[in-house]
Formats: sequence, structure tokens, C-alpha cells
Amino acid sequence: MPNSDHYVIIGNGPAGNAAAFTLRENDPDAAITIISHENICFYSKPRLVKYLAGKVDEDALAVKTMDEYRRRHIRLRLGQTVERIDPDSQSLHLAHMETVHYTDLVIASGARERLLPSMKPYADCLTFVTEFNDTTGLRKKIADSTRFFIFGGDLVAFKFLKMLTDMGKQVTLLLYPKAFWPHRLTKDMQDAIVKNLAPTNADILADDDLDTIVPEDRGGYWVTTKHGVRTQADLVFSFNGLIPDVDFARGCGLEIDHGILVDETMRTSLDNIFACGSCAQIYNPDINTYTTSIGWPNAQAQGKVAGLNLLGEHHKVRPAGRKYFDLEGVKIKTVWWEDLEKDEEA
Amino acid sequence: MKKNGLYSKEEKIFQDKNKLYRAHSVKQIAYSTDPRDFGQVAKSIPCQEACPAKTNIPGYIRCINEKRYGRAYELNRGANIMPGVLGRICSRPCETACRHGAPDNGVSVGICHLKRACADLKSPMHRIIEGLYAPTGKSVAVVGSGPAGLAAAHDLAILGHRAVVFETMEKPGGMLMYGIPEFRLPRDLLMTEINNILRLGVELKTSQAVGTHITLETLTEEFDAVVVAAGCTKPRLLGVEGEDLENVYNGLDFMKAVNASNRGQTPIINETNRQSNRGLSPIKNVAVIGGGFTAVDCARSAIRLGAEEVALYIRKTMDDMRIDETEKHEARFEGIGVESLVQPARILGENGRVSGIAFVRTRIEKTGTPPFKKSVPIAGSEFVVPCDSVIAALGQAPDVHDVSDVLTGLDKDTPATGMKGVFAAGDFVTGSTDVISAIAGGRRTALAVDLYLTAMERKKTVVRLESHATTDRPRSYDFIDRVPMNTIAMDQRLADHTNEVETGFDPDQALEESQRCYLCNLKYEIDPLRCIYCSACIDVAPKDCIKMVETIPVNADGTYGRYAETGQWDKVVSITIDNEACIRCGQCYAVCPMDCISVTKTELIQMDMDE
Ligand SMILES: Cc1cc2nc3c(=O)[nH]c(=O)nc-3n(C[C@H](O)[C@H](O)[C@H](O)COP(=O)(O)OP(=O)(O)OC[C@H]3O[C@@H](n4cnc5c(N)ncnc54)[C@H](O)[C@@H]3O)c2cc1C
Ligand SMILES: Cc1cc2nc3c(=O)[nH]c(=O)nc-3n(C[C@H](O)[C@H](O)[C@H](O)COP(=O)(O)OP(=O)(O)OC[C@H]3O[C@@H](n4cnc5c(N)ncnc54)[C@H](O)[C@@H]3O)c2cc1C
Ligand code: SF4
Ligand code: SF4
Ligand code: SF4
Repeated sequence: MPNSDHYVIIGNGPAGNAAAFTLRENDPDAAITIISHENICFYSKPRLVKYLAGKVDEDALAVKTMDEYRRRHIRLRLGQTVERIDPDSQSLHLAHMETVHYTDLVIASGARERLLPSMKPYADCLTFVTEFNDTTGLRKKIADSTRFFIFGGDLVAFKFLKMLTDMGKQVTLLLYPKAFWPHRLTKDMQDAIVKNLAPTNADILADDDLDTIVPEDRGGYWVTTKHGVRTQADLVFSFNGLIPDVDFARGCGLEIDHGILVDETMRTSLDNIFACGSCAQIYNPDINTYTTSIGWPNAQAQGKVAGLNLLGEHHKVRPAGRKYFDLEGVKIKTVWWEDLEKDEEA
Repeated sequence: MKKNGLYSKEEKIFQDKNKLYRAHSVKQIAYSTDPRDFGQVAKSIPCQEACPAKTNIPGYIRCINEKRYGRAYELNRGANIMPGVLGRICSRPCETACRHGAPDNGVSVGICHLKRACADLKSPMHRIIEGLYAPTGKSVAVVGSGPAGLAAAHDLAILGHRAVVFETMEKPGGMLMYGIPEFRLPRDLLMTEINNILRLGVELKTSQAVGTHITLETLTEEFDAVVVAAGCTKPRLLGVEGEDLENVYNGLDFMKAVNASNRGQTPIINETNRQSNRGLSPIKNVAVIGGGFTAVDCARSAIRLGAEEVALYIRKTMDDMRIDETEKHEARFEGIGVESLVQPARILGENGRVSGIAFVRTRIEKTGTPPFKKSVPIAGSEFVVPCDSVIAALGQAPDVHDVSDVLTGLDKDTPATGMKGVFAAGDFVTGSTDVISAIAGGRRTALAVDLYLTAMERKKTVVRLESHATTDRPRSYDFIDRVPMNTIAMDQRLADHTNEVETGFDPDQALEESQRCYLCNLKYEIDPLRCIYCSACIDVAPKDCIKMVETIPVNADGTYGRYAETGQWDKVVSITIDNEACIRCGQCYAVCPMDCISVTKTELIQMDMDE
């Protein structure tokens, strides 16, 4: 008997895809739609660093092809943005004024860049890398540029530093101890990082902060720190962690703190709505804290649990344990991320 | 877009056309008390409806657009009495309701910043306008000189009564003077606006605590009526072990101590709370408990007193914080962290001083009917944060016994109390709210007192309708980004705790922000008798704003309900503009071949009963 269920998933990352494919495996008939504002099939974000370095092509980013969705009858709506959720009428309002009805909703909208409040006036001068859209034209720009300034200290920052120095570029890193927000690098950690990064030939600035970024008429920027260091750079990157991308979900009645609050079954505060992956905020009893932006493998695991529970099961997601991210000899306790690309190389 | 006050070609043509229209149109003005018109105004002008004082927001924004700052200031003052103050610290319920901030419409208009702009930019020669009634020979005592007491005294004086304000503290203003820090509200500006009230003949008696220096009963004998507007002064306690340690402050005491010190002075905070014989305690690493106005002000003040680490700890979520986004941003900008979903379990001490605080994590649960939100501790989730000071800023409650033991019958919905001739206003009767609610409450109470004293209703609210031959704005204004407020740099903020952080708009910025307002007081209507149903207007409409309707239901209170729409031509009884969806872009007005779309300016105004 055909059923009239329509499962809608917001987000085409690991969480959204795990949810969609789990739903299809367990419910062959329901209509399943994935909506994503990006215009590209499911791809690997961790591999974006290699892509930007020119080491791999766009093809190598793909995790799933269009064909796989066709075969599973999963409808992909790419390049469409959800602007608002209306839980009363069980519908989504899209930016192009279309309304999409759902019977059950999975929010897997991921995370976006964290712009530090002090950097707000300089937002236009900063380059972020959080999704494929950000990389348009950037690959060539990186290849053509020589001087880089990196502001931050999250894991992507270190990956970028290594990528750029391997490419023979001139790099200044201003280490921001709160980049791992809400955790912060201790003084010992900072010292170890500075020491271990010495062989990269990058200039590492610690115990300092950004003061101003002034664009030059001919392109490029003058960056000045609070302690008066003045550097010229063709590109200024900001890598200060990610924050859940949930603004479109605010005001609809969902409980939202930093991310959308979920319990260990990935249920939100509203019926028929699940959230998973980087956009969800979940309490982790092992480390006694709430977490968001939980990395690729965990996003996948949460997506699967959301899919199963949406169909009436009662699975609990296993809390993500402590993980260590090893970068050039500096061990950084990440709690949740795994260095995926590194594993591949090994 | 235009910069430096210059207009683009498109705007110039638009303005010339405007002038022409104005010169040739005959104004038709009507006054209405029809419930349908009140209902229309409430739905059409969401910002004004959300403002507790019902400020005519599109009216004053239009004046700013015409550079009539003094008029804009008076339009404000007529409703909210202290525009310069509110333009800095209002909690901005209007901006939350603003149509420009509705989904798909962008970001709300900077209503509050514009209010400040008219106060800042008006001429130094500006005259305030007050319409005074003849003296009545009656006298009213007002207890408390916070915004509620001041607003009540202001209106009572206008209505011809003698108003005498009794105030415990040395200076008037209530929380404006002793709660809100000077870096958000300069005291000279505050005193100017307070003096504008006192100039009406209001007498102020400071250092006079009712209940201590003079009793409420005496006041009832000496005056014809009494208004109690004593605010909320009793701090809520944490109720955890360690609360009596040195360096545990309550938020209001902390702010009072900060506000007691002038420019150039360093506030001494730990003398106010408890006498210390161990010298000044450090405040380097501060945990502030709470997420309201007081908590954020304490945290930002602590940073200015030299604290290195300051964080707010809140029981519920970031979304539950009761302060507006700008203040959240400023706090984060100043390096203040927020830890959400936690609650204090106990305060740890060493040698009588704070050494840390133990928290438990919480989760949100909905219970009860109707369901309400509660934070519930998570078992086994305790963790310790080291700190040397704790500020408990959980808010305050009214202290009725401090004023009188015989005062009963307080009810937040009515100004009267259980005592004959005694009325109440502001936070004292409603519990902690905000300045604009306190002002609106004070005004409402003054009217109730006036009715009690004179047995006459002297004012009525009517809807003024005026034909308006133009839309007053081109479509391009809809795409202007919100103008950010100018602020001072971090080092200037730290240089002196009284340095005002926000510095206001210059005239160009005020003009640009004023252009963003849709002017929702302009009502767009289609004359169904002239309409030929060509649907040209629907084709150009940027929103789902022009509707084909079958019926328009009428609500029980006489206002119109939601349109019943239809897509079937044979059922269409009218094509009509939904003024709730309309963004006043003027496209339909420009395109209609039959000229059957009209624009009417709608305003709520106060009229004398006998006018
Ligand atoms: C450069 C980089 C390197 C990384 N390296 C690693 C690593 O080594 N190891 C690791 O574990 N993790 C890494 N991560 C993190 C990892 O990519 C994320 O944890 C993971 O992608 C989260 O998955 P997600 O499904 O929750 O969200 P995402 O993958 O972020 O997907 C979110 C999806 O939601 C869509 N979306 C959002 N809002 C809307 C809306 N309003 N309407 C429609 N669609 C919307 C987006 O288009 C997107 O498809 C890295 C991330 C980056 C940016
Ligand atoms: C630190 C802080 C920051 C705030 N920030 C904002 C903000 O940014 N925006 C906003 O809208 N609201 C803010 N508020 C809330 C706002 O200040 C109050 O809601 C408002 O002041 C209430 O006005 P009121 O007149 O009812 O009472 P109050 O302002 O409290 O005034 C009451 C007055 O009565 C006096 N009094 C009390 N007892 C007696 C007595 N027995 N005899 C004589 N006099 C007496 C008091 O001394 C006081 O002067 C803040 C409050 C605090 C504490
Ligand atoms: S007084 Fe406050 S609430 Fe009313 S309009 Fe002004 S800013 Fe808004
Ligand atoms: S656009 Fe203007 S009139 Fe309309 S709600 Fe906003 S501030 Fe008020
Ligand atoms: S002015 Fe006319 S076209 Fe523009 S939003 Fe209003 S009804 Fe629609």
C-alpha cells in the first residue's frame, strides 16, 4: 500500500545522508527529500583542504553520486534554502517562496564559521572555509598568492598552515587561544604548538590579538596586531571553530541553545522533528558537557539514529568519546573530531 | 545608494514628484472611534502595538527622514517622556515586532537608535511642548522616583495636580540612576530629561524613605492620593551553601557601588556588601550568575574594574536570555563568556573568601498545563569553576513591607490597591520588567488617579485618518542594510568605566536608517467600485499582499478578522490589500491603471473629551 509519509531532511552532509539512507532502508515506500542550499552532491568537507591545495580535483570530493539517489528514490533539492519552519502546519518555507510539507523532519543543517565579535567590522576582509561554496575561485587565488595570514587555532587552522607551508607559501599564524571555543588552549599547549611548528618556517604569533585589517587598493591587506606587529597578506583566513547553522530554525518553538537541543535519541523539543550532526546540541555524560559540531563520524552515527527513531524505534546514540588530534607532534584533545584525511594517508 | 546626504537620481525624481503631489492634493482628515479602525491600526503598525507606551514610531521616523529632529523628539516625548534615555537603553519590544524583521523581509528597523538620533540631533534651542491643564487644587504623593514614579508625576502635573515625589536615595531616577551603568546611560543626559519633568512643578524630596522617615498612612492623610512606585529592591538569593562568603555580591548592590563612583574614580565594591577587614579583595576571575539586564551590566562593569576572566552562568538557553541582541554582542565583544544550561550547586571558599563555584548542568523540560519551561539538574553532572568573586544577579522582587505593613491588594492588572486613595505603578506592582513598561504603567496609573480625584475622564484615544497622496518612499529603500551603531574601541571602554560605549548616529546615518522604515502607518486600500480586476497590482507585488477575497469576517470586538481568500473568480467579492503583509513598496500604487489604490495616514492620537 503506498503511504503518504514525506520525510524531509534539511542538509546534505554526513548526518542528513545517513538519516535519508537509513530511512530508505527501513521504509521502502515513503517519499524522502533532502534539501540543501549548496549546489553540489554529497561531498567530503575534510578533503576541501587537499582540494584547495590543488592535490585533488572536484571529482575526488564526491562521497555519493546523483545516481545513488535516483536508485533509492531519494529526491535531492540542491541550491534551495530553508528560511523558516512552521511546525503547526508541518511545512518548510523556502527562500524562493515555495512551501514544502513534511510528515517528519530531520534537521541536519551543519555548522558555519564562527565570526568573533571583535572581528565583525573586518568580516569583509576575512576568508572562511566551511563549505564547498566558499572555495569558488579560492583554489586559484591560493595558487597565485604568496603571503597568508591565518587567524585562529582550530584544527582546520593547523591543517591550512601545514598545507600552505608545504606549498612553499609565506604564512603568519596568530594563535587565538579561544579558537576551540568553548574550550581553550592552555599556555603549555600554546608553547608546545609554537615550538613544534618552528620547522614549518611560518611566523607564529602567540599572546597577541588582531587589531585592524586594512584592505589595500591593489588587493591584499595590512594586518596589525595589538602588540604592533604589521604584516602584509594577500589573503587573511579566519579559523575559529564552527557554530551550528540554525538561525532559520529560531522562533518556531524549537528549544535552541547554541545548537538545536536534542536528547540521546536525537529528538528535539517538538514532535516529528529530529536534529542530528553539527547543528544539534547534545549532552555527553562521559565528558559532562554539551557538545555541538561533533565531527564527521559522529554526524553519521547521529543521522542513522535519527532515521531509525523517526520510524518508531528507540535507539540511543553512543556518546562520542575523547579523541586526540595529532598535529606535527602536538596532541590536541578534540573530544569529537577525527583526523580523517590523515587516517587515509597512513 | 546615496552617501554623504546626496540623493541618487531616482530619489531626486521621486522627491520632486512627491512635492508636486503634496501641492495639488486636498487633505481630507477624519477622526474615528470605530473598533475596526483601532483593530486596523494595531495590526498594521506592529511596532507601535508592541510598544507599551504606544509610541508613534513611523511618525517620528518620517520626521527624522525630513530632518525635523525636534518634532520627532516631541512625538516621542508625548508617548514615552524620556526619549534620550530610552533611545539608549530601551528593551526594544518594538524592534522584535517590526515588519522589516519579519521572515523574508530582512532585519528590523533600528527604531531605538533612531529615537536616540532625534534626541542627539535636535537643535540646542529645542523647546519642549506640554499642554498644561488648569490647576485642580489636589495633591498626590508619589513614592519612588524611578521611571514609573517620574512618569506618573509628569502626567499628574500636566493634569493640574500638585505632585510630590518621595525618594529613599540621594538622587532621583531609580534603576536609571543606580542600576543601569553610566557607560550605557550618561548621567547628564538622564538628569536633563528628569529635570524636564521636575520643571513642570513636580517637587522632589530625596533621602526620604517611606516606611522609615515617613509612613504611608501619613501620606494618605496629607495628600489626596498616593502612588507607590517603589520598584523591585529585594534581591533573590541563590539559596546555596557558601552564599555568605566574602566576595559574593548581589547584583544590584554591585551595580549601586559601581554607579556611586564618578568619572575618574575607581568604584569600591566590597565595602557596600560586607565590611572587610582584610583590605580590598581581588576581582580578577568573576562568575556572574544570571542572564538578565543586571547580570550583563555586572559582568561588563567587572571587566571595566580590571577583571581578567568574566563569565555569565545561566540556567536555561542562550535564546532564553532576556536582553537584546546588541547587548549580547557587546558583552561578547568585551570578552564575556556565557555558559548556558548550568545552575550553581554551592560556592567554595578558602579562609572565608570565594575560591570557586560548583555547578550542575541542566536540561530543559516542559511540564504543567499549560506547559511551561523548567530547567532540571542532570544527576552526576557537577563540575567546579575556579573564581575569586561571585555576583548573584538573579533579579529583584518588590519589598512591600519596606513601604508599609498595611498595604494590600496589589494587582498587576489594575492601578488601584486595597487601600483607598493609594495606587501602585511600575515594577513594584508588576514585578521586574523594563523601563518602557514602567513608564507606560506610571502613565496609566496617573490617569486612574486623575479619574479618582476629578471623577472625570479627560482624554480619549481616537484614530486620525488623513488622505495621503504619496507613498513617501521609493522601492529602493527596501534594500538598504541596517546601519550599525557607532561604538568606542576596547581601550577607551577600559580607560574609564563611565565612558559611553555607543556614540550615536551622525545625520547621514540617521537619514539612511530612517529610509528603511516601511512607514506602516500608511494604509493602502483598493476601491472595489473602481477596480477593473486587471490584476496589474498583483503582478508587481513583491509579497503575497494583494488578495482576492470571498468574505472578510468581523471579530467579536468589532475588528476585522483574517480574510477568507479564494482562487475562484466567480466567488471573488473584492480584491483587497492585506496591510499586515504589505511592505508599503508603492509598486501597486504606481501601476494601477484606474488610480483606485489610495493611501491613508493612520495615527492614534489623544484628544480631550470635550474637544
Ligand atoms: C575544512 C573542514 C575540514 C574538516 N575536517 C574534519 C576532519 O578532519 N575530521 C572530522 O571529523 N570533521 C572534519 N570537519 C567537520 C565535518 O565536516 C563536519 O563535522 C560534518 O560535515 C558535519 O556534518 P553535518 O551533516 O552535520 O553537516 P554539514 O556537513 O555541514 O552539512 C550541512 C548541510 O546543511 C545544508 N543547509 C544548512 N542550512 C540550510 C538551510 N537553511 N537550507 C537548506 N540547506 C541548509 C548545507 O547546504 C549542507 O548540505 C571539517 C570541516 C571543514 C569545514
Ligand atoms: C542593573 C539593571 C539594568 C537594567 N537595564 C535595563 C535596560 O537596559 N533597559 C530596560 O528597559 N530596563 C532595564 N532594567 C530594568 C529597569 O531599570 C526597571 O524595570 C525600571 O527601572 C523599573 O522602574 P520603576 O520606576 O518601577 O522602579 P525603579 O526604577 O526600581 O524605581 C523605584 C524607586 O523607588 C525608590 N524607593 C523604593 N522604596 C522606597 C521607599 N520606601 N520610599 C521611597 N522611595 C523608595 C527606589 O529608591 C527607586 O528610586 C535594568 C535594571 C537593573 C537593576
Ligand atoms: S519606547 Fe522603546 S519600545 Fe517604544 S518604540 Fe521606543 S524603543 Fe520601542
Ligand atoms: S517598518 Fe517602520 S513602521 Fe513598520 S513596523 Fe518597522 S518601524 Fe514600524
Ligand atoms: S504597496 Fe502594494 S505592492 Fe507594495 S507591498 Fe503593499 S500592497 Fe504589495
